[in-house]
Amino acid sequence: MQSIFDQIYTCLIANNRWQLILSGLGTTLLIALCAILIGTVIGAVMALCRLSGSRILRGVSLTYITIVRGIPMVTQLMLFAYVIFAPVSIDKIVVAIIAFGVNSGAYMTEIMRGGIQAVDAGQMEAGRSLGLTKWQTMRKIILPQAVKNILPTYTNEFIVLIKETSVAGYIAIQDLTKVSDMIRNADYNAWVPLIAAALIYLLLTLGLSRLFAALERRMARSDRS
Amino acid sequence: MIEVKNLVKSFGDNLVLNNITETIQKGEKVVVVGPSGSGKSTFLRCLNRLEESSGGEIWFEGDRITDKKCDINALRRKMGMVFQHFNLFPHLTVLQNITMAPITLKLQSAQEAQKNAMRLLQRIGLADKANSYPSSLSGGQKQRIAIVRALAMNPDVMLFDEPTSALDPEMVGEVLELMKELADDGMTMVVVTHEMGFAREVATRVLFMDGGQIVEQNEPKEFFAHPQHPRLKDFLAKVL
Repeated sequence: MQSIFDQIYTCLIANNRWQLILSGLGTTLLIALCAILIGTVIGAVMALCRLSGSRILRGVSLTYITIVRGIPMVTQLMLFAYVIFAPVSIDKIVVAIIAFGVNSGAYMTEIMRGGIQAVDAGQMEAGRSLGLTKWQTMRKIILPQAVKNILPTYTNEFIVLIKETSVAGYIAIQDLTKVSDMIRNADYNAWVPLIAAALIYLLLTLGLSRLFAALERRMARSDRS
Repeated sequence: MIEVKNLVKSFGDNLVLNNITETIQKGEKVVVVGPSGSGKSTFLRCLNRLEESSGGEIWFEGDRITDKKCDINALRRKMGMVFQHFNLFPHLTVLQNITMAPITLKLQSAQEAQKNAMRLLQRIGLADKANSYPSSLSGGQKQRIAIVRALAMNPDVMLFDEPTSALDPEMVGEVLELMKELADDGMTMVVVTHEMGFAREVATRVLFMDGGQIVEQNEPKEFFAHPQHPRLKDFLAKVL
């Protein structure tokens, strides 16, 4: 029986294991960061569609949300990898970024819609009564206030997304979870690689909550009297 | 200046404005009173189309604003509006609240707008609040800033929708005082309010609304001294 330190050394350091883990972490971060960007853009556009006067735009947005939220992430990921993008040769990581981005976008849509609708209706009226167009009022008055409403749930969605990327291994991507599982198989040791992966995820999500909490405090400036 | 012809407004089956015809001349200070639910706020909000009318016509300075093709945004610049709940922009400073619209609409340069805003703030004695956020102001201060924000657009008419109803009693005076000054400067005003003292002192004409109609109107002295319609008599007996 190896000592604890020997086990940790074998699983995490020896044979360039640390590099493997680092590259897994890199892949996880790459997918999560790009996906959240895509998700944010899709979410913003779809939220505006959802709140627009056009029935068609509202319908498009609602259909998108319904489909994406009704199918498990892993299924969607595999659909993207093995059906939608099957005919074209394209990097699996790009496929994952698109799949996670499209998925996250649906949740973002609802988060942003809620944030926009939470802004007092009197704000739109005040903007319009000054002669601003609907879009000018949206941009100058509603959205800046909506961002503040959105931030806490946005953080949460980002954290959920980072954790969700752990299923990327289903389409043979070596992300943090997949890599730790590979080490488990190679070394017949489960606890070291899995707890290491768990701790890394925890650090990531913890750091992120801290970061956004600081941002929220900054944005709350105008609330203080 | 404002001509309302056969204005009708209904929310679903609920008829809120029932065939209102009224003309407001330049320089008039028209005060609209009436029980809650009489349609007076809706009437006011129809004037700048914050509420879309269901029928009839509204003309403003020769433009038919109820026409779907009219540029309502351009007309609204000439019609300032003050709300019951102030509706200041909480994420902007007092100065930015006032300059935002003139700058965004490219009516004034940032410098001009700021100079103009500071002049207005000085006039109401709140110049020292220019860089504060609305959350640090009292209700009376907020409403005075909201009035100034509307004035910064150099409107031809000011619409007031129960401007003192959300204020603590001790704040009402300062807001009414500013409105009086505005009236003395010759601003055309349409004011929906429960402040009968203001109506008596400042109005050139008082309208009494009930059940979506203008039931009676008169110059203030006669209006309060010799009400004709039983509904108005009843109303005045309760509020005075």
